[in-house]
Amino acid sequence: MPIVTIDGRQIEVEPGTSVIQAADQLGVEIPRFCYHPDLEPEGNCRMCLVEVDGFPKPVVACATPVVDGMVVKTPHTSPVASRAVRGVLEFLLVNHPIDCPICDKAGECSLQDFYMHPDYGQHRSHVDSKEKVHKAKRVDLGPRIVLDAERCVMCSRCVRFSENVTGYAELQFIRRGNHVELVSFEEQALQDPYAGNFADICPVGALLSRDFRFKRRVWKLDYTSSICAGCSTGCNLRIDHYDGHIERLIPRRNPDVNRSWLCDEGRLSYKQLAMAPRVTHPHQDGEKALWVKVTAAADELLRAGTLGKGLPLAALASASATNETLWLFRRYVEAAFPRHLLEFRLAQETEAVRERQDKLLRRIDKHPNTMGALHLGYTAGMGLEGLVREAEAGRLGALLMLYYPPLVGEESEETKDRIRRLLELAQESVLLTTHHLPYLAGAKILLPVAAWSEEEGTYTNYQGTVQHANGAVGSPSAARPAAEVLGDLMRQATYGRPETEPGRVFAEIAEKVPAFRGLRYKELASRLATAYPPEGRMPYGKDGFTGH
Amino acid sequence: MADFLTRHTKDPAQKKLDTARGRGAYEGFRRALAMSRQEVVAEIDASGLRGRGGAGFPTGRKWSFIHAKEGQSVYLLCNADESEPGTFKDHHLMTFDPHLVLEGVAVGAYAIGAHRAYIYLRGEYASIAETLAAALREATAAGIIGQSCLGSGYDLSVGLQLGAGAYICGEETGLIQSLEGKRAYPRVRPPFPAVHGFLREPTVVNNVETLACAARIMAEGAEAFARLGTRQSAGTKLISVSGAVERPGVYEVEMGYPLMQFLSHEAGGISGGRRLKAIIPGGTSVPVLTAEEAAPLTIDYESMLSAGTMLGSGGMIVFGDGTSMPHALLRIAEFYAHESCGECTPCREGTGWMAWVLRRLLAGEGRPGDLGLLLRVGDNIEGRTICGLGDASVQPVRSFIRKFRQEFEALAPLPVAFPAWQLHGHGPRTGRFGPPVEEAAQSQPVEGPPDYVL
Repeated sequence: MPIVTIDGRQIEVEPGTSVIQAADQLGVEIPRFCYHPDLEPEGNCRMCLVEVDGFPKPVVACATPVVDGMVVKTPHTSPVASRAVRGVLEFLLVNHPIDCPICDKAGECSLQDFYMHPDYGQHRSHVDSKEKVHKAKRVDLGPRIVLDAERCVMCSRCVRFSENVTGYAELQFIRRGNHVELVSFEEQALQDPYAGNFADICPVGALLSRDFRFKRRVWKLDYTSSICAGCSTGCNLRIDHYDGHIERLIPRRNPDVNRSWLCDEGRLSYKQLAMAPRVTHPHQDGEKALWVKVTAAADELLRAGTLGKGLPLAALASASATNETLWLFRRYVEAAFPRHLLEFRLAQETEAVRERQDKLLRRIDKHPNTMGALHLGYTAGMGLEGLVREAEAGRLGALLMLYYPPLVGEESEETKDRIRRLLELAQESVLLTTHHLPYLAGAKILLPVAAWSEEEGTYTNYQGTVQHANGAVGSPSAARPAAEVLGDLMRQATYGRPETEPGRVFAEIAEKVPAFRGLRYKELASRLATAYPPEGRMPYGKDGFTGH
Repeated sequence: MADFLTRHTKDPAQKKLDTARGRGAYEGFRRALAMSRQEVVAEIDASGLRGRGGAGFPTGRKWSFIHAKEGQSVYLLCNADESEPGTFKDHHLMTFDPHLVLEGVAVGAYAIGAHRAYIYLRGEYASIAETLAAALREATAAGIIGQSCLGSGYDLSVGLQLGAGAYICGEETGLIQSLEGKRAYPRVRPPFPAVHGFLREPTVVNNVETLACAARIMAEGAEAFARLGTRQSAGTKLISVSGAVERPGVYEVEMGYPLMQFLSHEAGGISGGRRLKAIIPGGTSVPVLTAEEAAPLTIDYESMLSAGTMLGSGGMIVFGDGTSMPHALLRIAEFYAHESCGECTPCREGTGWMAWVLRRLLAGEGRPGDLGLLLRVGDNIEGRTICGLGDASVQPVRSFIRKFRQEFEALAPLPVAFPAWQLHGHGPRTGRFGPPVEEAAQSQPVEGPPDYVL
């Protein structure tokens, strides 16, 4: 395998690796606009020029394959490369409006970052602002994206994404020379269900997310690594939040799961959390109650309904819950109720878990953890439909239900009806949920739990990959993570003193469940810290990429 | 005056297949078909033919780079985009001897094993499209091109594609992109077209004149061609001369022909009784020559190179002593600013910037240091672009300013003063807050060594 020396440091890489990939592996920072690890290299921005021994002039690191024995010098060590890159940067600023104070990209803009870098930028431009070429501003590209063509550096990342990744091919350049301008096909709104990615891959403030525009300065945001709970793909994402409010979701790079992409539905899934009022306090018979009292009441209610009457407990968990919650749910049910029907399906999750919705990321099953439930011993049993049948036949003593409303799409009317019916039929019912929804009103005891983004835990995606999500924001009022609530129920009934801290629950799972054997919680949590650009690469040291 | 290529172009009847065949058209192709491909390539190699589009790369070697793997198709593309300013030699060949061009395409295609060839014709040459198409129809009807060319069992189909008038389509990878129906953005090399060309298949792109030469070489033998010209620049060259000469037009001269003799004899001398001021020998993309520099030169690759310029496409532009060189340069710079494809940053922004600065200089709004700025912008473009057209845009700017400095300085409002530290590349570091105010007022800080000797 070829060995390359970059800035005096050696690395052995796979044949066919480009210089910029080798540098990324080494952690040597090479500035770039057009290069993106998940797009074909194009070599048009000329920002990654490096000096290679034996080459007469600087070459682009993104399109130059590594050859054994190659000696590369980046702008950090080579005056030739530094001069070349400074020249390119100056060219990019010739017609750039330099309106950083009103630009939403400011703070995470490559152009800005490189300009502030001592090895590439901080020179004075000679250009008179009167002479700039003017282009279209505030171009409406549909519900997701707004374009400012003047800020564009023509790197063509978006064009290549549109053509080669999603295949919608809706963006193209028109005109020539310094009048080149990005436009959408026939200047129409983008149809692409992945359009939100344009704002992420745009290295400057040309393509901006309409959702995030003017909402918050990026340096005010807190960043938390998480996993999308919108479907069974389990895309790695970052929750950007401020003062306890989620401001946006952006993808984190994971080449094995979502590469650098996120679908628009997943990206906006956080809005679903605010679509209905949250359950803020425990309720008993429609009245607010205190946790201490209601936990005991719930346990008693369930036992009275089942053990007392000799009927089984219907326990309906959720494929949207974390592995840790599902594990404790099962443990509680199995320990406290000798006769039980343990279920987790609302509809066709298990059949659809691997089915694609499109060729890129989206999947039919809109639950993030169906695979985890299957691994944890939940089976494709009778499902919600079967439980309703049992209830109609009067064969259920009580109902314990854990329910999270879907973050992408809405529950089908059929499912809603069945849930409503099940809660009506089961005389003794304890519901752990996040939102007040009309079809959940029949629950006797209502326990508020943390929603996605509010609790830490792991999800197993359709591939069987266990991924870790952090809690980003706090739960409203008295809502608590479901794992804690279940732990309390167990303690209440003195079925032991279970661990409820996610790391410890996971250790227990890893010990007892074959599918989780050998996994370590801390490793999962740190593995997900990979982000693009790689952590610590940026000159201003954005530690937020590491998550919390 | 030589007539290796142009011996029949005076006769309008040469366009007709019968007339052309009566004069030996397609005999070179017939001879090539009787030989193996390797033999044809060897013959062209032996003739010493070099690319006539501008770069002067040996044609035989270019053809020998084609190694088609199993299942790959090979393509020959004839670059008839002739868009270099000052060049109109291919126009002459295609208009007056289209069968010679077609024969060249056929020979080239056979030599590289291509069964499909395209002639990419410049958009502005729409008038020639009909001439070429008619010639192609005749040749196809006569069984020369098509299934089993001349009864040899070798199949070749030739397509004609009209461009839409973009300079960049003359760049080989830009041409390939355009032919594929895409925006003519040049591709980063490697991979070269010989490996990944048209439709990602091995491809050769040759200039019209090169292919015409190849056709004649096959008809008359490598020896006949190699005998002409100098040792390293064999054969003849079509020169399209324009500007301040009495008889502008297309002339064929033997390589090694004295430049001054060409101007005074073939071109009829400088027009209006003026004196020669400057000459661009090979299209605007090569450095300009002053009259003194041009005097001892001959028309061939090596002689031009020794004077720091290039024979290029043979698009010769002559300036008489009444010409304002800054105005001429502005015209050229505006061409490049207009024609830059806009793919890569240095050329996209730099060509426009150079044109701006020149425009304001000529409008009397120049600023101190503008000439240095022009050179510096040029330095930042050269060698940093995807294709050679970035470099091309810099050559005229740099050579005009260096060689006609007084004219440019006369436009600048103040003497072009460089602080010493700019000349030597080091000096007060331009940190975040820039240089001291008074220094910033009269000059602009430059990172790196501006080694300009104006």
